[in-house]
Formats: sequence, C-alpha cells, structure tokens
Amino acid sequence: MALVILGFLAAIVLLESDGLASWANHLEIGPLRTVAVPVTAAVQKTLHPLGVAAIRDRALEALARVGWTDDAALLAKAANPPRTCDLPGASGCATSPSANNPNPASTSGLSAGANTPDHNAHNSFLNAPGARTPLLGDVPKTTVLTPLSPVEAGKPRVVVLTGDSMMAVGLSAELMREAAGDKNLRIVKAFRSGTGLARPEVFNWMDEYPAMLGEVKPDVVIVAIGANDGQGFVVDGKVLPYGSEEWRKVYQERIAEFLAMVEEGGPRVVWVGLPPMRGHIYDEKIADLNRITYTVVSQSPQATWWNTASYVGDDAGKYREFVTLDDGQTIKIRSSDGIHLSDEGAGLLTSVLLKWLDPPAQPANGATAAPAAAPAVQVRPAVKHKRNVHRKAKG
Amino acid sequence: MLFPTVEYALFFLAVLAVAWSLYRFPTAHKSFLLLASYIFYGFWNWAYIPLLFGISLFSGLVAQRIQRSRTVLARKCWLAAGVTVCLATLGYFKYTGFLLTTLLQAWGRFAPPPHIQINSPLLPLGISFFIFHAISLLCDCYRGKVREPVNLGDALLYVAFFPQLIAGPILRASRFLPQLAIRRNPNSIRVNRAFLLIAGGLFKKVVISNMLATRLVEPVFAVPQSFGAWDTLLAVYGYAAQIYCDFSGYTDIAIGCALLLGYRFPRNFNAPYTAADPQDFWRRWHISLSSWLRDYLYFPLGGSRKGKVRTYINLMVTMLLGGLWHGAAWTFVAWGGLHGFYLVVHRLWSRIGWHPLVRWRATAAWRWASRILLFHAVCAGWVFFRASSFATAFTVFGRLTVPGVATLATGPVLIVLFLGLAGQYMPPRWRNGLEIELGRWPALARGAVLAVAIATIEILGPTGVAPFIYFQF
Repeated sequence: MALVILGFLAAIVLLESDGLASWANHLEIGPLRTVAVPVTAAVQKTLHPLGVAAIRDRALEALARVGWTDDAALLAKAANPPRTCDLPGASGCATSPSANNPNPASTSGLSAGANTPDHNAHNSFLNAPGARTPLLGDVPKTTVLTPLSPVEAGKPRVVVLTGDSMMAVGLSAELMREAAGDKNLRIVKAFRSGTGLARPEVFNWMDEYPAMLGEVKPDVVIVAIGANDGQGFVVDGKVLPYGSEEWRKVYQERIAEFLAMVEEGGPRVVWVGLPPMRGHIYDEKIADLNRITYTVVSQSPQATWWNTASYVGDDAGKYREFVTLDDGQTIKIRSSDGIHLSDEGAGLLTSVLLKWLDPPAQPANGATAAPAAAPAVQVRPAVKHKRNVHRKAKG
Repeated sequence: MLFPTVEYALFFLAVLAVAWSLYRFPTAHKSFLLLASYIFYGFWNWAYIPLLFGISLFSGLVAQRIQRSRTVLARKCWLAAGVTVCLATLGYFKYTGFLLTTLLQAWGRFAPPPHIQINSPLLPLGISFFIFHAISLLCDCYRGKVREPVNLGDALLYVAFFPQLIAGPILRASRFLPQLAIRRNPNSIRVNRAFLLIAGGLFKKVVISNMLATRLVEPVFAVPQSFGAWDTLLAVYGYAAQIYCDFSGYTDIAIGCALLLGYRFPRNFNAPYTAADPQDFWRRWHISLSSWLRDYLYFPLGGSRKGKVRTYINLMVTMLLGGLWHGAAWTFVAWGGLHGFYLVVHRLWSRIGWHPLVRWRATAAWRWASRILLFHAVCAGWVFFRASSFATAFTVFGRLTVPGVATLATGPVLIVLFLGLAGQYMPPRWRNGLEIELGRWPALARGAVLAVAIATIEILGPTGVAPFIYFQF
C-alpha cells in the first residue's frame, strides 16, 4: 500500500502542481495557508519547466470550447481565444488598446474577461464615489426606492440579480418565481454561491460579472453579496487581518470598484443589505460589512442601499426565525443555517422589490390619461409600514 | 471537511500513515482514530463535539447496563431509557422548528397564534446518522447480538468513526464492534478495490452529481414556471441521477477510505434503478437505512406477522417515519408516504394469483415494463423530496404537461445524465475485472493511474465544491 500511495503522490503533484498552488492561494488566511502557499509555490516553480501542469490548462480550455464548463469567464475566454497580437512578443500589431480590443467597453476593464485582465482599468474605479469616503455610522432603517420610469410596452425591464449565496439561496428563486409570466420584466441571473468581494484571487467578480452578463444591458441590478467577506486577505504579500484599518480601506475600494462596474451603462442599483445573522460574532461582522457597503453605496446617485433588517429582523432589527403574518400564518423566514433566508423569508423582500420593479397598473381615469408614474416604495420597519408590503408581517 | 477536497486528502493521508504505524498497538491505534474522528467533525463546528461525545458515551454506558442486567424487564427499561434519550435529542435538534411551525400554523387557522420569538436549535451535522448508530448499539446489545462486553472506547469510535460519521453508511454495532476487537493486518487490505471505490465515488459526486445539479436540476426546481415539459422531465430524471450519484458516491468514498484503514463497511447501494418492484428498490437503495428501519422499526411493530391490514399499516408507518428522518418537512413525509403506498400496492398486486397474470409477470417484457414503471414512480417521489414546498412540487408536475423546447439539454448534461442512469446497468464483473487487472500492475504505476483518474475528475467537474445532499439529514 505504501508504494501505491507513493506513486499516487508523485503523480498527483506532477499533474496538479498548478491546482495545488491555486488551492493554497484560495485558503482562508491562517496557519494552513501560511504553510501551504510557499510549499505549493516552490513545488509549482520546480515542476513548471517540465510542462506537465500546462496540460491541465489546455484541457480546461478545450473543455470550455465544447461547453463543458459552467465558468462564465472561462467560457468567454474560450469563445475569444487570445489572438496573435495579445501574445507576448507578437509583432505587427497596433499599439492602441482600441485596436487590440474592438470592444470599447473593455478599455474600462468591464469586459476584459479572464484573457485580458486590465488591472490599470480596475484601478480607475478607485476614483469611484465612495472609495475613499470616511466610514459612516449606523445604516439607515428607512430606505426610499425612488420610482422607476414606467415600463415601455413590448420592452421588458431587464433586471440582473447578482451576488453570492445571499442572492442564490431564496432571494433569486423567489423573485424569479414571482416574476414568472410578468411580461414587463426580464430577469437575468448573474450570481454565484461561495464568492465575495474580499478575495478576488478566489473569484474575481471584475472578470466574472461581465462574462456572466454577456450582451445583456441591465435596467436594474439587484446586488446581495458579502456574507463570505468577513475574512482577512493578502495584498502585495502582506496579510491584512479582517477588520484592520488597512483591510477596511482595501475592502471599501473593492466595493467601490464593483459598484462602479455594475453601474456601467446606467442601470439603477439596489444593494440589498445583509440581514441580521443568528451567530452573535458573525452578526457583528455582518453589521460591520453593512456599514462599509452603505458608506460606498450612499455616495452613488444611481444606487440605493436597502436595509433588509426592517423586514426579516425583529423590532430592534435583530435576528428572528419566525414571523406571524396578518392572516395568522406563522412562517419560518430563515434557513436552518441561521444565515440564509428561506423562500418564505425571501418572499417578504421580493414582494417589495416586485412592487417597485413593476408597479401594479393605475386605474385608468379616461382614454387620454397619461401613464402614471410609479409610487415611491418606502421601506421602513415592517411594524410601522405593514401596508406597503404584499405579505404583511407582524412584529 | 468535504471528501472531494485537498483538505480531506491531506487529512486522510496523514491519518492513514499514523494509523498504520500504530496497528501493532490496538489501543493506541483506536485512540488515534477516535481523535482523528473528532478533529474531522470539529472542522465543521467544534461546538457540537460535546454532543457527539455525550451521545456516544451515553449509549456505551447504557449498552453496558443492558448487557449486565439479569432480568428481561431491566434490560427493557434500560433499552427504553436509552432509545428515548437518543430520540429526544434527535427530536430537539431536528424537529423543534418543524413542530413549532406546524403547531402555530394549525393554531392560526382557528385563532390568532401567539407571537413567539424563539429560535429552533442549529442542526448538528450528521446527527441523524450518529443517533441511529447509538440506537443500533443499544438494540444489538438488547438482542444479544453483541456477544462481547461493550468497551467504552470502542463504543465511542463506533459512533464517531469519521468515514461514516456525516452521512453513513449506518453501521451495525454487531458487525463493527467485532472488527475493533481484532488487530489490523496491512497485508489483507484490498487496496485496488479501495482505490476504485474512491475514484468511482469521486467521479459520481464531482462530475455527474455536481454538473446535473448546477446545470439542470437547480434551475428547473428553483423556477419551474420558466420551463416546459422537456426541460422539466429532464430535470426530474436528472435529480434521480444526481441524488443517486451524490449519495452513492459519498458512501463509495467512505467505504474505500474505511477499507484502506482496514475496516469493512456494508454495501449501501446496489444499482437501485434496475429494481423491478418497490421492495426490490428498498433492498438496493440506501441499504443500511432501509435494513435499519426494517430491523429496528418495522419488525418491532409486528412486521408482516399480524395479518394483512396490520402489515400495510406497519409499512406505511415505517416509510412515513423514514421520510421524516430525511428532513423536517411535510414534503419528506409525503415522499415516505408515497413509497409506503408503492409497497402496499405492490403487496396487493403480488397476491393476485390469477394464472395468466402470474405467467405474464415472469416474462422479460414485464420485467422491463415494471422497471420503467417503478423508475417513474420513484422519480415522482423525488419531486417531493427535492422541491422546497408542495407548491413547487405540484408546479413541477404541472409543467410536465406544458409544451416547450429542451433548453437545458446540452451535450455535457445529456452525457452525465446517461452515465448516471445507465451506469447502473454496468455488469459488476467489469469492476472486479478492473480490480484484478490493476493487481497485475506495479504498485507505483497503480498509484499513478489513480492520480491521473483524480486529476481528470478534477478537470471534468464544475468549479467549486457542492456539499453532499445527505449532509442536511
């Protein structure tokens, strides 16, 4: 058995030295990562000249070309393989960025994809509103979603749902189910569980979001992200522990970059604040992350930060698991992990969002009546504003 | 720590090395495996280790009391006390929220229910499995199937042994404890079989199950309203393949890992979709659970010894509780009830002794027709099992009648769906032949082949690691 395992270890290290290095880089900041990163990097460096690990990359690209992968960035890369001009040392190519990439949007890095990462362009987002704003205090309990322009006949409003599992679990499915059959709305999925904005080396939303969107031009973007972001990260080889001043600064910049990217093209953005969490320590982290996202989002005229605690929290905005509706029904609004929303919990939010996205038609007062503007949806603690939601919750 | 991760691979290799270095010292060997099991469990949440330890210790102590009791009454009392505590623990952690919601919903139909602000307890990972292990220890001691006096250390390891801790297979104390009493022999390990099980399990989980989940099943079950009949039908078939590959993949890896450590686990799946009747299906699907329910629930209820009607009632009760064991939701109860109904109908059908029908049942054509019929009946049950609510389940059924094109039927999805379902018809001799063939190769080459297989699986699988479906139970 020992020899078999020896053969296995030798072969797997040879074949997967890149994969192991990538795994080590993706680990949470901690002792394991501290040991694994230099070891796997050394192994990778030693074995790289053999060229065996490159087989993995070529195999992944080949699989992407036949549509095997579900990784949007990899698919985009396979669909637009690097041209001769993009390769190092290629001659006879124009030096202008626009000549290298016919898509003008890519000059801002938005559709750079995995094959043409434009980090300088990403850095340009650092001038985005909110990137340097001093951290604001408590998040607002009241949010006003100012009305959208009426939906034009035959031109459905394109709504992109993006984020991590806070969007993927409960919220997106409930929204799509409720919007199914609504000809005024077209819902586009651009979310991925297990991701976040703190660790772009694990999942780079700046590459993935444009790839997920493709040619879609959103009118509204709903963002629910950040549940995995309460962790440290490494910048230029330096570990920034979660919550440190430097960490906050960099994370704020990353939020600003992401927000600027999703705002490209002028959609309205609703940033769904993370709901209160069951675990006390985790809840404090989430409250902290909410303050950071609120600080950034509140600087943008296009975006609204939405406090979900008004709906799924108790009177004090704290975690609660059950809600009794006005019709006497008691529903469980959180999933058993104490983190995500249940479908019914998500329904408390989606009813408000749908009312805003596609308001009920106003009764016509005459053939010549002009289309009425949609009413503002004011989001306040549910106890005080039960009538503003379809599913009314008792406190 | 999920099986298909580098973390688990490193953990397991370390455990393997240390465990075999200690095999000459059984106490140290078992103590080390117990420690490793707690570390494995602690990777999820250290807070629940006292619960795992407490249940294991409690069941071990009660098992000792059962063995030492001289009267039947005393043995019964100890058994009843032990099983009650185990079930109460399971009930508290798993069903508090469910019971509260059900109670308040029922209350709300007649009068305004009270406003409650309590939270149901967080569900410890694998609680349904380790509680069933504890009950098995108590029942096997009560029935005298565990002949040797129970050693507390062995009882702790039996309940917490890491390959089966989170999602089975559910081991019988009477079959596992004797394995702990004998010294391991490194020369008796079927290494090739273990590697084939691990590689096969990883392929089923990482490639087939994960791809079907992300690209077929999840989109349809999230918003069935958006899909027509073909996509919905594919998603239902897809879930049948996904849950089989997910769970049997997990248990194959668990069995393979245990085998490398020198322990034998029972087989948990035997090509369930090749079954031609519901009884046969339950002999092939999650065998360790179905036999547990048979031996510790159905038989004590009277089994088929108390007349036809009582038999049918016992079948229904067993399957309804089996459904509830899977999850604290009425959809799981409906799934169990549906399977109970299938078993009752099959019993009634089997009793019809009309001669032409008996002859027809013996034909190959009927066998295949009944396989197809049963597969679809099982798929109907999976809809309730997968759907988050009855409304979603009925929407899925409704969409099967709505014409539409198959938008999700991409080449990769169809390939893995075919592999997941048709793979069950692969003759067992192929795997045995492969095991024998591998045995002729040099040891280093065998290791390299396994590495190539795992690297290929890693490349073919979707990005990210999805948790196993059965972890939630």
